[in-house]
Amino acid sequence: MSRVTLLGIRHHGPGSARMVVAALDALRPKVVLVEGPPEADPLVAHLAGLTPPVALLLHDEAAPETAAFWPFAAFSPEWQALRWAAAHGVPARFADLPASVTLAEPDGPRPRAAIDPLGLLAEAAGFDDPERWWEDVVEQHREADPLGLAGAVAEAMTALREEFADEIDDRTLRREAAMRQAVRQACRDTDGPVAVVCGAWHVPALAHLPPASADAALVRGLPRRRVSGTWVPWSHGRLARDSGAAGYGAGVAAPGWYAHLWDSAAARAAAARGNDTATRDGDNGDTAARDGDAATHDGDTAAHDGNAAARNDDAAAHSDDAATHDGNTAAPGNGTAAHGNGAPRNGSLAAGDDTVPRWFARACQLLRAEDLPVSTASAVDAVRLADALAALRGRPSPGLAEVTDAALAVLCGGDELPLRLVHERLVVGEQLGTVGPDVPQSPLAADLVATQRRLRLRADTGTRQLRLDLRRDNDRARGTLLRRLRVLDVPWGRPEDVARLGTFAEAWQVRWDPGFAVAVAAAARHGSTVASAAERVLGRRAAGAARVAEAADVLGEAVNCELPGAVAAARAALDRCAAAATDTVELLGALPALAGTVRYGSVRDTDPELLRTALHGLLARGAVGLPLACRGIDDAAAERLLAALDGAHEAAGLAADPAHQAVWRQALARVLDAPNAHGLPAGRATRLLWEALVLDADAVAARLRRAVTAGAGTGASAFVAGFLRGSAALLAEDPQLFGLVDGWLTGLSAREFADTLPLLRRAVAEFSTAERRMLGERVGAAGGPEGAGPAWDEGRAARLAAEVRRLLATAGSTGGGRG
Amino acid sequence: MTIDGIGVLRAPAEQQYAAELAALAAADDRPRPPNWRLSPQAVVTYVLGGTLPDGTVLAPKYVGDRRLVEIAVATLVTDRALLLVGVPGTAKSWLSEHLAAAVSGDSTLMVQGTAGTSEESVRYGWNYARLIAEGPSEAALVPSPVLRAMRTGAVARVEELTRMPAEVQDSFITILSEKALPVPELGQQVQAVPGFTVIATANDRDRGVNQMSSALARRFNTVVLPPPATEDAEVAIVSARAAQLGRALELPAEPPALDEVRRVVRIFRELRNGSTVDGRTQLKRPSGSLSTAEAISVVTGGMALAAHFGDGRIGADELAAGLAGAVVRDRVSDDAAWREYLETVVRERAEWRDLYQACRDVPTGGA
Repeated sequence: MSRVTLLGIRHHGPGSARMVVAALDALRPKVVLVEGPPEADPLVAHLAGLTPPVALLLHDEAAPETAAFWPFAAFSPEWQALRWAAAHGVPARFADLPASVTLAEPDGPRPRAAIDPLGLLAEAAGFDDPERWWEDVVEQHREADPLGLAGAVAEAMTALREEFADEIDDRTLRREAAMRQAVRQACRDTDGPVAVVCGAWHVPALAHLPPASADAALVRGLPRRRVSGTWVPWSHGRLARDSGAAGYGAGVAAPGWYAHLWDSAAARAAAARGNDTATRDGDNGDTAARDGDAATHDGDTAAHDGNAAARNDDAAAHSDDAATHDGNTAAPGNGTAAHGNGAPRNGSLAAGDDTVPRWFARACQLLRAEDLPVSTASAVDAVRLADALAALRGRPSPGLAEVTDAALAVLCGGDELPLRLVHERLVVGEQLGTVGPDVPQSPLAADLVATQRRLRLRADTGTRQLRLDLRRDNDRARGTLLRRLRVLDVPWGRPEDVARLGTFAEAWQVRWDPGFAVAVAAAARHGSTVASAAERVLGRRAAGAARVAEAADVLGEAVNCELPGAVAAARAALDRCAAAATDTVELLGALPALAGTVRYGSVRDTDPELLRTALHGLLARGAVGLPLACRGIDDAAAERLLAALDGAHEAAGLAADPAHQAVWRQALARVLDAPNAHGLPAGRATRLLWEALVLDADAVAARLRRAVTAGAGTGASAFVAGFLRGSAALLAEDPQLFGLVDGWLTGLSAREFADTLPLLRRAVAEFSTAERRMLGERVGAAGGPEGAGPAWDEGRAARLAAEVRRLLATAGSTGGGRG
Repeated sequence: MTIDGIGVLRAPAEQQYAAELAALAAADDRPRPPNWRLSPQAVVTYVLGGTLPDGTVLAPKYVGDRRLVEIAVATLVTDRALLLVGVPGTAKSWLSEHLAAAVSGDSTLMVQGTAGTSEESVRYGWNYARLIAEGPSEAALVPSPVLRAMRTGAVARVEELTRMPAEVQDSFITILSEKALPVPELGQQVQAVPGFTVIATANDRDRGVNQMSSALARRFNTVVLPPPATEDAEVAIVSARAAQLGRALELPAEPPALDEVRRVVRIFRELRNGSTVDGRTQLKRPSGSLSTAEAISVVTGGMALAAHFGDGRIGADELAAGLAGAVVRDRVSDDAAWREYLETVVRERAEWRDLYQACRDVPTGGA
């Protein structure tokens, strides 16, 4: 038993990570066990190709969307243990319940123990915040004996476990049984020392191994599934949001700060090793990883201020400055007041430690990039305030609370707003990990990465606006990729209001979430490339479409995704649905979307004629059914029909050829003649035909009068409502039409008028305020049905006409330039 | 609590709380910065209250976030100046006075910022009779409170910094960055003794303030003091302060009942936030700041009324007069807001019937 060393850690704690590395260096174990799902053991081999933060993604092979992540940051003790093992050629294995069990749990993978061991310990020590307590006692420990520290943690946990023995749930017990089995296996495999890196809470349970049969009984009969997995890039932002999510559970609130702590410690260690010729392999690995991190980060910053080199110089200058300044204040007899001397000086400015100065230098860079004035002198003062605060609060060195308070008081002038910026960009950070090419990926994921690279579309975790010009091949391919991914439930891009931008431009809002990895993994079963998978998904949706609108939607998406196979399938589905459709409203309702698709088809690589044929088919079917659909319907159905009719009319004008437009107009004309047609579509058909110059004003007047005299009140008002809606300008312009409506209204009896009023009101309410005012003025000025307008002012009209001409000329010239 | 300053209306903090400060100093075994009367930790304890090992109970002077007080004290430990910012009545001057009392044992080295504050009151002036008789000399120099603080290594207080004209404000730049004040007439400069620092207060709400230049602003660490976060905290502040003031003014009245204090605080908070506690009713906001300090004066005013004209017990009638006066600052718009509040909120609360009646009877001049 004595050759097994238990290293109890806090997940994602940089102090624990330091302790683990130091302890492993001292122990030189032959096997390293790390808390985690054993299915991931083969993936440990790919460690060299990874830049943290990364996550293990394990999913159920039968249902890939059932998945869980085990995230690792550079400062995670688990990650450091794995690295150490890889660097020293020692096998590293995961020890926990298999993911197949946790994934099969009814409510999915859950976080760890229900009670908070650290919270209890911290409370006992008089700390209100367990994170701070752990930080003070363990994380901030720099020089202490790592094994002694691990022993102390184990002791504390043992005492706690004894006290709370009743509150440990079955799941935890099963997990620990699985861990003990792994420990036994490791002991069988080697004669040398074994190191176990696990959550501090589990240490007491692993300290004594009961008979193997007891543990076997505990884990027997658990559900099993086939599980496969890979490494996926992870981000600090995601790590911060994951508090209490799957896998290790314990997310961290301040990954950026922890990474900074870890980097600083690693830099110190590297500096201390500078003269040491016997540099070990593992240390090289560590340093390389750190450098990689730093490089990534610089790249990020460069995007902000465009000059990474300047940033580095500046940061160096800051820390120098801080050191100099401190020297000044500390010097006795110096003219400046040296209050700082009064407080015990054990703060961040101890020799060689630039953790806090570098942090404030970064904060200054950040704030300056956002045009907030902060000087190097402010950074110096912030460092000193953080030190004084730490001394005042009795902490060994400034922690996150102290640097945050100091940043607020000195750099942000007490204003919370810039502080939030510091929190988002520095305390949490936007760092994204990478996964090397040799890591096993689904063909789909590999294709996605390759496509991203080809299109120069980086998977950023920040939100970004993307404007695409579809006439450029690369932009068009980007838009297509984003659309195909949306089909695969990977909402990397969100299309923004496209209508206003015209046919050739698209606006997207793109934000990559490392969690998309699940959807990517799930999509892998549909095909080996993004294109083929999307085509398959769309084809399936087309085959399943039961309504015309669904089929038209799929067709639209297929065209936008530029997937000919899916286009063909959707066309077939559209024909099938249209043939079966009996509802004219449904047929007509699909037309606007289709018309848009036809217009885009010319941009995308789809033959527009193919789509136009589909549109014509739908239009012809709808035209045939339209007169019948207008008959014998209630008001609600008439409203729906009216909307469909408007949309179809617009679509016909936009995308149909002249022959089919004629067919459509004939259908409208038949609506007018249809007996018992509802007034709403009939009125609208009348106006549309008038606008299309099929009917002249006299004919319209005749129809209105006919509807008014024939209908028994309500039919007439429906007709007028259908006629008037959205036609304010027309009404105000045409004295004949105006006179007709006016005459009809004044001719109504009091009761008829009262019945008509609500419908009229509804029609008029849709007019804009300006239109209503215009109508009101028209009514007020007219005086009578045929009344002449207000007196004609020749001089004013001439001025107005000249101005309008000028405007038209300007618009014409710019329009010409664009055309 | 003993009051040493018998015969004055209000003794400075270091006299009012001399016993507490002495007990703290005796028990304080931590290192003190040069010229500090207490260690930084003890200053925090003094401000926030607590119990000493010898059983002395320290009254809390500032009720609020411990973090803010720690930042303020840590700022003073470094040689940075401290700027307390907040809307009127958030205990800025109060905190500043107690910090100065605890750190230097002297809270009277104070410059009041007004539109008429001159550079002499920040730097130094001259005894002109002497100046004319003897020429410029050390003896003819009249030091400002700031200059005296520099010489003794004490805390200088500047009230309402942003009310000073900008050019007067800027005379602090040299003092704060060089820790020295040149006196060209004498051909010498006064150098600050360790322990010297400046605590300034500033409103960020009032009109007529002179924004600080960025050169000056960056020489301060800024601590924003928020209004009390919860109703309970505010009730605690108001009742404690009102009771203290009642004793200081020797009012023969009972300390105010908690229920009455709660009513005042609730009215103030609701009007300040522009909505009722339950969030259901939107309210007009009066133009005044309705600070905790004003709530305190409403309650003490009520105590005075009760003591001299009533039965010694504070009730709705005593509060009504002060309430209307505190809320209605602008006769037209505030009166409308107050009347609306009375009719829509106070009237609807059954247990507030007496207050509604009392308030309705108080003329506010608007109607």
